[in-house]
Amino acid sequence: MKIKCFYFCVFVFPALFLYTIFVIYPFISSIHLSLFSWVGVGAKKYVGLKNFIDILFGNFKGEFFNAFWHNIYFFIVVSIIEVSLGFLIALGLASQIKGYHIFRSIIYLPNVISMVLVGFIWGLILNPQIGLVNQFLKFIGLSNLAKPWLGDPNLAFNTIIAVNIWRHLGFYVLVMLASIIGILPDYIEAGYIDGASNWQIIRKIIIPMTLPTAQTLILLLFIWSFSVFELVYALEGVQAGPFRSTDVLGTLFYRTAFGGLGSARMDLGLGAAIVTLMFIFILPVSFIYVRLVERRRQ
Amino acid sequence: MLKLGKNSKIIIFILFIVYSIIIITPFLNIVINSFKTLGEIFLAPFSLPSQLRWENYKETWNKANLGMAYLNSFLVSIFSVLGILIISSMFAFILSRYTFPLRKVLYLYVIAGLAFPARLAIIPIFIMLRDLKLLNSRIGLILLYMGTGVPFSVFLLKNFLDDIPKELEESAQIDGASPWMIFTNIALPLIRPALVVVAIVNFVSIWNDFFFPLILISDRSKETIPLAVSVFYGEFSNQWHLLSTALWLAVVPVMVIYAFMSREFISGMTQGAFK
Repeated sequence: MKIKCFYFCVFVFPALFLYTIFVIYPFISSIHLSLFSWVGVGAKKYVGLKNFIDILFGNFKGEFFNAFWHNIYFFIVVSIIEVSLGFLIALGLASQIKGYHIFRSIIYLPNVISMVLVGFIWGLILNPQIGLVNQFLKFIGLSNLAKPWLGDPNLAFNTIIAVNIWRHLGFYVLVMLASIIGILPDYIEAGYIDGASNWQIIRKIIIPMTLPTAQTLILLLFIWSFSVFELVYALEGVQAGPFRSTDVLGTLFYRTAFGGLGSARMDLGLGAAIVTLMFIFILPVSFIYVRLVERRRQ
Repeated sequence: MLKLGKNSKIIIFILFIVYSIIIITPFLNIVINSFKTLGEIFLAPFSLPSQLRWENYKETWNKANLGMAYLNSFLVSIFSVLGILIISSMFAFILSRYTFPLRKVLYLYVIAGLAFPARLAIIPIFIMLRDLKLLNSRIGLILLYMGTGVPFSVFLLKNFLDDIPKELEESAQIDGASPWMIFTNIALPLIRPALVVVAIVNFVSIWNDFFFPLILISDRSKETIPLAVSVFYGEFSNQWHLLSTALWLAVVPVMVIYAFMSREFISGMTQGAFK
């Protein structure tokens, strides 16, 4: 159908305008700002690529890569556990167990709770002296397993990952479940008629047919892994203690751009440079994801 | 689907019970603690409260600024979602129903926003809102959420519209109906299911959002729920009975709504992020 210019503008303008000024412009502006040194007021000072050199090779290197590798570690651990465990739990749900609808609702419940509140709730439970976890371990006689979950630098980040999995697993279960249910029952039926065992059905039919879903989930997880912030903030604060052992790019960026005591340097330009490096890193994956989403539609 | 023997079904059932307990326990913990005294929490962690201390609720409600925060969260979420529904459905309608130059480019331009977390671009957003005097403002938050909600909402609505035949609209156009009439009288009623999904997904993510209010709101009278609880948490970090009460008061409305509409939530959020 054809449309007059007037109507076109009235329909398209509001969304296009808000999207452009709140999403596209800030991204471009961040890249631009990364070439300056600026505390937020007064004149910006052009410094060229100095911010990037500081981050990648200079005195900000240690802080940046410490956080960066935590994000990568987070991505690897979370994608392996959430996708595989999500698949297994989805298989369980798909095998027509009793209470299917109730289990499905309970499993998804943590996903509707605000991330930062999840962090606070678990902060109480994981408290070393009076938290439920250690009290319970002592109660059943395993007091040597009662650990300072958030206070030990070797444990803290894994603890945060565990809480993250508690919050998100239901989403992966339900996406994998939708993918499993989407397989034509005839395929599985035909497998049984040919005498295949359950294990063969899972390996030869269900896994190959749900693989594209798992791949897309991993792409999304990669993108999402770079926006980790709330749990670290709620459980360890912006200093990402103990001794920066839970620092991620999100908290590093927050300290750099918006202050917080103990930041090595406070500078919006430096913060913008951190974010620009994150864009560069996410960009190829985002590109594949958007293409995949588009292709699936056709 | 898989055919399992009776024993394996029982084992799987038990595993699901265990998993459910792991999910429910943290919530149960804060509910029970919210009725205890501080002493009871320390000394008798597993027992039920000796009496229901409703005064915890009164004290927390006032000290944590929850009344104000509820009002703010409600206003911001409702108006953002309404705004998103209006602007995204109009945009998606044009993209799906009309031919014009660069249509494909415009579409890709918008869904590119699906691929980046909007929060990464917070510095220029902060500066822009500051210069517009929209820091510490509910309007500023609402406009921001409307902008960041566009890619996902347009994507979902456009795809939904694409699957609906357009004969009805074409004949309406031949009869002389304006695009506005076609949009409100024909297209909108047809995409109602997709509008529900868009509303739920955006509502949940805006209601729960902490990052943008943390950076953009510092005035206590403009706090949303997650921010108010976070501020309270900082001030009363040893008062576990009050913290538990605040957390419980913050999550209970979402849980109640979820209990009644879990099916809509689940289908909305899974197909939402994933179509």
